[in-house]
Amino acid sequence: MSASSLLTQHLTAGYGERTILNDVSLTVQAGQTTAIVGANACGKSTLLRVLSRLLTPEQGNVWLDGNAIHKLPARRLAQQLGFLPQSPIAPEGITVLELVSRGRHPHQGLFQRWSAADEAAVADALSATHMANLADSAVEELSGGQRQRAWIAMALAQQTDVLLLDEPTTFLDINHQIEVLDLLTDLNQTRGTTIVMVLHELNLAARYADKLVAMANGNVYAVGSSEDVFTEQMVRDVFGLESRVIDDPVTGKPMMIPLGRHGACKRKHASTADRETQA
Amino acid sequence: MNPPSYNATPSSLSQHHEHHPYRQMRRAHAKRRGRILAVLAACLLAGVVLTLMLGQSFTPLTTVLRIMGGAEVPGASFTVRELRLPRAVVAVLAGACFGLGGVAFQTLLRNPLASPDIIGISTGASTGAVFAIVVLSLSGTAVSIIAIAAGLGVALLIYGLSWQQGVTGARLILIGIGLAAMLQSVTAYLLMRAPSWSLQEALRWMAGSLNGVQLEQALPLFIALLLFGGLLLSRHRDLETLRMGDDIAVGLGVRLALTRITVVITAVALVAFATAVTGPIAFVAFLSGPIAARLVGRNDSLLIPSALVGALLVLLADYAGQFLLPARYPVGIVTGVLGAPYLVYLITRDNKSRGTL
Repeated sequence: MSASSLLTQHLTAGYGERTILNDVSLTVQAGQTTAIVGANACGKSTLLRVLSRLLTPEQGNVWLDGNAIHKLPARRLAQQLGFLPQSPIAPEGITVLELVSRGRHPHQGLFQRWSAADEAAVADALSATHMANLADSAVEELSGGQRQRAWIAMALAQQTDVLLLDEPTTFLDINHQIEVLDLLTDLNQTRGTTIVMVLHELNLAARYADKLVAMANGNVYAVGSSEDVFTEQMVRDVFGLESRVIDDPVTGKPMMIPLGRHGACKRKHASTADRETQA
Repeated sequence: MNPPSYNATPSSLSQHHEHHPYRQMRRAHAKRRGRILAVLAACLLAGVVLTLMLGQSFTPLTTVLRIMGGAEVPGASFTVRELRLPRAVVAVLAGACFGLGGVAFQTLLRNPLASPDIIGISTGASTGAVFAIVVLSLSGTAVSIIAIAAGLGVALLIYGLSWQQGVTGARLILIGIGLAAMLQSVTAYLLMRAPSWSLQEALRWMAGSLNGVQLEQALPLFIALLLFGGLLLSRHRDLETLRMGDDIAVGLGVRLALTRITVVITAVALVAFATAVTGPIAFVAFLSGPIAARLVGRNDSLLIPSALVGALLVLLADYAGQFLLPARYPVGIVTGVLGAPYLVYLITRDNKSRGTL
């Protein structure tokens, strides 16, 4: 599978009268994992919706390997570009196997039968997400982490070169968050899938993404490696938060510790106390 | 919360397709579904044969078969060929049309209440038919065409009225229920303006009835079922994918607008064609999908199971209305009595659990 790149130029988009994205130009490198971060309502989900052609931009375009995505036939685009929205709802009564099989929709013609390639793609997706032994369970009976893995398995079965995910770790426990991000990293490393995801958790974004895209006020604030983008200045400008950025002791990547009013106070008290003891 | 299990199927399995556990799972599901559909079809066939045999008088099976083969049996030929056969055939065809149209709407709008007979589309078609007959003095196919136009008009009107930066299911349904009540009174008004009409005839257009149907009326219904039913079935995969939400469906390459328009037009046409012949048989469109979902599960398309359930419902309810109840009731009264409790149940049910469709 070859890696694919996504490119936007002078993108303006919004809902009705409300313009949310303003003149966004962004290049997503092929074969990389890109995380979009930013405060609430900064336009990161809107950008992902435009990238996945759920929203048609007012101006500008999105290019996938040189083709304008809004002009590609829907089915052909869906063979190359997958999208997983934030907390999707599974239809009632559907099994994991059936849900994951729906990922083959763009590969199937009107009267085409279920093929060996379809079955192999579904089997691979189920085993990659460790959902094989839950294949015959109803999706609504799964735990939150299992359910998210089932949805990712569906996206994997689609076998696209590019996968867009809107907050794939929301509502998950920390262990399931790590599990999902590890899984996406495996996918990126073994298949070369280009991954673009909106992430809330800054430290996880810095750890797992090759590239960070920091967004503020409907535009891109900074793009680059986490070492370049993830600074105390960025956290202040994008999130309006005072913080300390240190090296993650495990990965060496940047890691943010918010100061906050109370956290900072306690630390000051502690140091004063230290000094008093010394004196 | 269960820890994830890592003794998953090794990916080498994908090379042995013959012994694939997933293939077996699929086969088991398909087998179960096939069995239930076969039982439904067998019930339908048995129901048709029984309604040809039973009635005011009993006609033995051998006689029925001889009559169907073209033989003249004094005293029985007329009953079977002119009275019972048209009723059974139209019941099956109209029931299938209602079942298909109902479940298509319910699936598209992801709500069991969004059935064409609840949100006023059947009522609109009925009003259109009555208008064509009473005011325009039309008959036959012209009535069907006006019924379809009225049904589509109502669908458009509901859609337009519930549009507020997008359409939500709940608003659409409430507006549809209001429109249905309005159209019901328009039908009643039109019927009152036609004093030569019998109560039976009036009841057909208010609640649905198979009284006095002719075999000639079955042909356009059959063609409509083949044409629009076929078109709807050709989109069953897109319709199923839409159940996963618009965003997922678009991500999987479904063309939203095209799928929606195809489903709405075919479903309205199916319901309107049937309504133009039998009137708006109450609640058949509404009940068929949920009953079919109970029978076959919700892992696969409900279109064909729902068509079978609809046919069976109309056939049995009509028979019950004619012969099993103390007086003769039109089929719509019987299905109305069956459907109303379910409607009440759906409306009063806890909002946090979603529908079966």
